[in-house]
Order: sequence, then C-alpha cells, then structure tokens
Amino acid sequence: MGIIIKIAWRNIWRHKGKSLIVGSILFLGSLLMTVGTGVITGMDKGLQKSIVKSFSGDIVLVPQKQQDDNVFLSMTGSSVEPLPDFEQVEEILVQSDLVQSWLPIGKNTAMVLNDAGGSMDGVFLIGVDMEQYGSFFPDNLELVQGEFLKPGERGVMIATGAQKMLTTSMGIFFKPESTALDTTIMPEEARKMGQDLVVREQMVFMGFTSDNTSTDIRLPIRGLVKYKSLNTILGTFAIMDIESYRECMGYVSASNQLVEIPEQSKELLGLDESNLDALFAETSLLVEADREVEEARFRAAAATPEEIDLDAGTYNLVLVKLQEKVEQEEALRLLEADFKAAGVGVRPVIWHKSIGAIGSLSVLIKTSLFIFVMLLFVVAIVIIVNTLSMAALERTPEIGMMRAIGAQKGFIGGMFIAETFVLATFFGSIGIAAGWILVTILSALNLSTSNDMVQLLYGGDTFNPFLTAGDFLLAFIQLALVAVLAVIYPMIVARNITPLDAVSRE
Amino acid sequence: MIEIRGLKKNYPLGKTTVHALRGIDLDINRGDLLSIVGPSGSGKTTLLNVIGCIDQASAGSVKVGGREVTTLKDKQITDLRLRKIGFIFQTFNLIPVLTALENVEFPLILAGKAGKAKAREKATELLKGVGLSDYLTHRPAELSGGQRQRVAIARALVTEPDIVLADEPTANLDSVTGASILDLMKEMNERLHTTFIFSTHDANVMKYAKSVVKIQDGVIAKD
Repeated sequence: MGIIIKIAWRNIWRHKGKSLIVGSILFLGSLLMTVGTGVITGMDKGLQKSIVKSFSGDIVLVPQKQQDDNVFLSMTGSSVEPLPDFEQVEEILVQSDLVQSWLPIGKNTAMVLNDAGGSMDGVFLIGVDMEQYGSFFPDNLELVQGEFLKPGERGVMIATGAQKMLTTSMGIFFKPESTALDTTIMPEEARKMGQDLVVREQMVFMGFTSDNTSTDIRLPIRGLVKYKSLNTILGTFAIMDIESYRECMGYVSASNQLVEIPEQSKELLGLDESNLDALFAETSLLVEADREVEEARFRAAAATPEEIDLDAGTYNLVLVKLQEKVEQEEALRLLEADFKAAGVGVRPVIWHKSIGAIGSLSVLIKTSLFIFVMLLFVVAIVIIVNTLSMAALERTPEIGMMRAIGAQKGFIGGMFIAETFVLATFFGSIGIAAGWILVTILSALNLSTSNDMVQLLYGGDTFNPFLTAGDFLLAFIQLALVAVLAVIYPMIVARNITPLDAVSRE
Repeated sequence: MIEIRGLKKNYPLGKTTVHALRGIDLDINRGDLLSIVGPSGSGKTTLLNVIGCIDQASAGSVKVGGREVTTLKDKQITDLRLRKIGFIFQTFNLIPVLTALENVEFPLILAGKAGKAKAREKATELLKGVGLSDYLTHRPAELSGGQRQRVAIARALVTEPDIVLADEPTANLDSVTGASILDLMKEMNERLHTTFIFSTHDANVMKYAKSVVKIQDGVIAKD
C-alpha cells in the first residue's frame, strides 16, 4: 500500500498539468456543491422560519373527510371541512411528547360583498383567537396601519396582499377604521383610481362552506398587516376573530349558547320542509326573524370574552408545532397512529403539503438546485474521466513495464485510485473549505429582498445560506462518489494495458 | 530449464496473417548465457516475449522450470514473471518517479519476499554490485542510459529469478557502455548461475554468449 501511495503522490507532482486540471475541476465542483448545499439548507431553514414558524406550523391536523391536503392555498377555493370534536384532538395532543404547542383555527374562503354595487371577490379567511394566535406566532406579522386585532375583539385584519387584490378586482380600497387615507402605503392600483376610489373601513363577508351554511357578516377592519416573509403569497388572507368567522361560516359558535332566540324566530327555524311554503307566504316573518337573530347575535358578541369558552365552537384545522429535533415525517406517522387508535376523525398533514403549490415549489427549487449540483458533477466526472484515461494511455510504457516485472492488475488499479483520491482529498477539501467560507460571507452580508420569488429561493426575506455538519459529511460523500465514478473507466483502461502494449510502443 | 516445442506465433495484420514464429523447438539449460540473434523481423523479440510470458503462443508448448506456461491465466503468468523471470528492456525500463534504489526494491515489495529493511539492504547490495553505489537516490531522469540499464540489471536480479531476459539491452547504448553492460551480465551469470537470454543483431554482442541461437524468418536457422 505504501508503495502505491508513494508512486501515486510522485506521479501527481510529475504530471503537474494534468493534476492541476483534475484538481481544479474537483475544487470548483466541491466549491459549487458546498455553496449549493448551503443555499438549499439555508432555504430549508428559511422556509421553516417563514412558513412553518409563521404560518402553518410543522403539521396541520385536518378533518379525516377532508380529501385535499392543500387546505390553505387551494386555487379552486374549495372549502375546508369542520373539525370534529376538538376536545378529543386536544386530549391526544396534550399526551404527545412530540408536540410543543398547537393552535386551532378556522380556515375557509369567503366572498367579500360589494355594497357599492360592483363586482365581488373571494378572500381566504383565517379565524383565530387572537390571544392564542399571538402566542403561537409571536412575530409573524408586521402592522402597516391601524391596530392588531385584540383578544376577544370583533373585527378583521386584512393583509396587504388581500387589500391590493380586492382594490383591483372590486374597485374598493379597504383600510383600517379611523385611519387616514395614506397614499404612501396605498397600492398603485388604488392610486390610479383617483376620485373614483371607493374607500371602506368595514367588510361584509359571505362564507363558503360545502353545506352552504353561511351568513353575511359585517366587520370593522382593525388593522392592515403584512407577513414578514412571503407576503404576496401568504398575504392574501384576512384574519378575523374566531367567533365572527364561525358565524360567517354558519358554524356553531361558542357564543351560540348565549343567544336567546325570540319565539318568532324559533318558529321560523322550526319550519320543516312541508311548511316551507309558509316562509314565502309571510314575507314579514322572514325579514323580522332575520333582523332579530342578527341583533341577538350582536348582543352575544358584546358578551365579555371571559363568559365564552371559545373551544366549545367549531374549528377547521389545528396547527401543530413539534418539539425541537423531532422529525416531521416520524411525528406525522406517530400522530396518525394516535388519532387512528383513538378513533378521532382527523389526520395529520405535513406543512408543505398543506400550502399546496408553494410547498411543491419550494421542493421544486430544492430539487432543481440539487440537479444543478449533480449536473456539475456529471460534467466534472466526464472531464476527469477523459483526462485520466488519456493519462493512462500516455503512461502505457510505464504501466506495461510494471506489469512485465510482476505488478498485478490490482496494483495498477490501486495506483490510479490512489492518485485520484489524493487529488480529490486535497483539492476537494480546499473546495469545500472555500465553499464554507463563501457561504459564511454570503450569510454575513444579510442580503435581503422584497421579491417573493427570490424570497422563496432565500426561504425568507434574507439570504442566509447555512451548512450543517451533515452537509459537510454529505459533501465528502459526494466527493468520494465523484472520485470513484471518475476513476472507474481510467482504471479499467490502465488495468488492461499489457506488457506487450508497452513493448509494441517501443 | 526452458523447453519449447512446436512454438508458433501468428499476428493478424489487416486481412493477412504474419507468421512471426513458424515452429520453434528449443531447450535452454540452467546457467546458460544464450544469445538469440537474427536480422530485424526474424522473430527473436517475439520468441523472447513468449518465453517471458509477455506474449502468448498461437500454437505449441513452452515450459519454464517444467511448468507449461501457455495455459496459465493472467494472474498466474504475472506471478510467474515476478518470481521466476527478470526483464531488461531496450528503452522503457525504470519507473520514472522512483529512485534507483526504490526501482530495484520494487519487485521485492511486489513479491512480499522481504521486509522493508531487508529489501533495502538487498537492493543496495545489488546496486553496489553494478557500480552504482553513488547513485542510490537518483531518479532515472538523473542517470545516463548505461546507468539506467545497470539499475535494470540489478532490478532483474533482485528477486533471484531463474531466468533473465534482455531484449537488445545494448541497442541504445554506445559501444563502451554496451560492452560494460554485457560484461556485467556475464559476470552475474557466472556468479549467480542465473540463465541469461538476450536478443541482438549485433555480431559483437554474440561473443559474450555461451551459446547462440540464430533465427531467420521465424524458424531456427542455426543452434
């Protein structure tokens, strides 16, 4: 073995030009691979921060009968089913060692009605208890105008993305109540409308559910917010208090029990199918009843929050944050088993599936980067194979002579492997080290962007490439793989050189 | 020592076949210093290559030390070359990245015959024997043609082979150096009783041989 290394090492120095070519390719390949891996890891970490820690949690619990995993950003606006028995779900979460915290939410699509007579548009709604929301996502939103929705307060916070979208589609500029019309934060679309711009400080929502149980609900806009990362994608949501959300969707709300329905309304609600004609016969009954139910609801809404157990009402989803170092896939599997065993009709969905195309896009970008790095290596391998094969043929006299005086094919193969591995170790290590330095510098520069596509690549608003110990290990494994793949063919060429080939060259 | 019967070697050359050896019968005894002579293209190098297991016979039998070598596999042939046969080539002869001493040690390391210290001692002794005690750490590029051939002789002898084959060992040397190389081979033959077989077409070289085989057109013309 010693003699192989000795010959290999001296041959590297003897053929400096070729060694430098092979070494440079290995250096460059390792450098780009390390930086690429750093970007991928940074993106992963950034996405974790931007989406998992600010929007979806690690795992989303969805109703069992919910067919589509994409519960947040479905382009078709398909409704999310009500979650059955949240108390049972909570019991399981409390007992699980994997779970750090959870947040039950309502999530569906609602139509924003246009009282100016123009067109309407849909918006994604999230209904939350602001107290729970604030502690689950303590730093995900930035207030642009107005105020954050307070715990127990009725109202809605509209995200800038949704505001812009609705301005364009409805011609109405929604802004927080009692705030000035600030043109500096106004979207371009609103500014262009000039005098035609209709401004509203309240929004009327009409919920969409699969069983058409919805109610129109008017809510004051408390604040204009933006997500700190990926706002154009995530900022199409309007966040409202959970009770208003439930009413909007026609769900059982926690305050329902406080509503005293007038006798006349009970009469109306008690109508069976056979008596439906009566509904149309007495128009005044419908209008009157509707008004009284509405008034009763607002009376209930005015009840102090302490009187209401919000968890008694309906939710659609539960966002789950896992404990540190718990693998998402493993937790998913275990939680699924727990719910199945307990007969609870919910199923866990991994975060990137819950946000549909965005999750897939991030996986796509990661895959693309990985393929790019792999392509680099394929090119590197081809060049190295050519260079080493040429070197093997040029050394026919030397190799043939070695074979003539008793060197077995294995010795010749070993010599080539040793040469390639010495080069790979030396230049590859320098490449990896340089890559690490570059990643550190890029990270320290804190490059930031407001472009959402670039944010997706960054995994957030700041470019923070990052390398883990595992990445370094992976880099060396990839380097070894490249070295092995690159040396196979030249080694075969060298092994097949016979003493006669050498004699024939004389 | 070496027994050759009905040896034929054909080379395909395009659509024709070159008959390099047309049926050689030859016996070579232990301790012989045999010269194979003949004009260029007569088949002497081919005969040497087949004896040294560098080339394979098309037909016939070649026994080295009583062992039929024409049927051996590559690994066995390589091992045979390592342990039983030493080579001195015309031009390509030393590993360029190794010193003279390391070149001589090389077959011993391959054979695993001796420990590192013993191999070094033996190689040093042989290099001294060929008059290169001052050139142990020189690489081939730092040696003259004659010195390189001396290193090659030392390397050929280091494993104490039964046979040393030398294909025109003086072809690229001046007459004085060539004579000294032949003197050395003769001395080693007498001292170690190693069988030396060398090919040449130089009449002056033949006088060093104990016996001469003349080849013409692939057959032995004179034994």
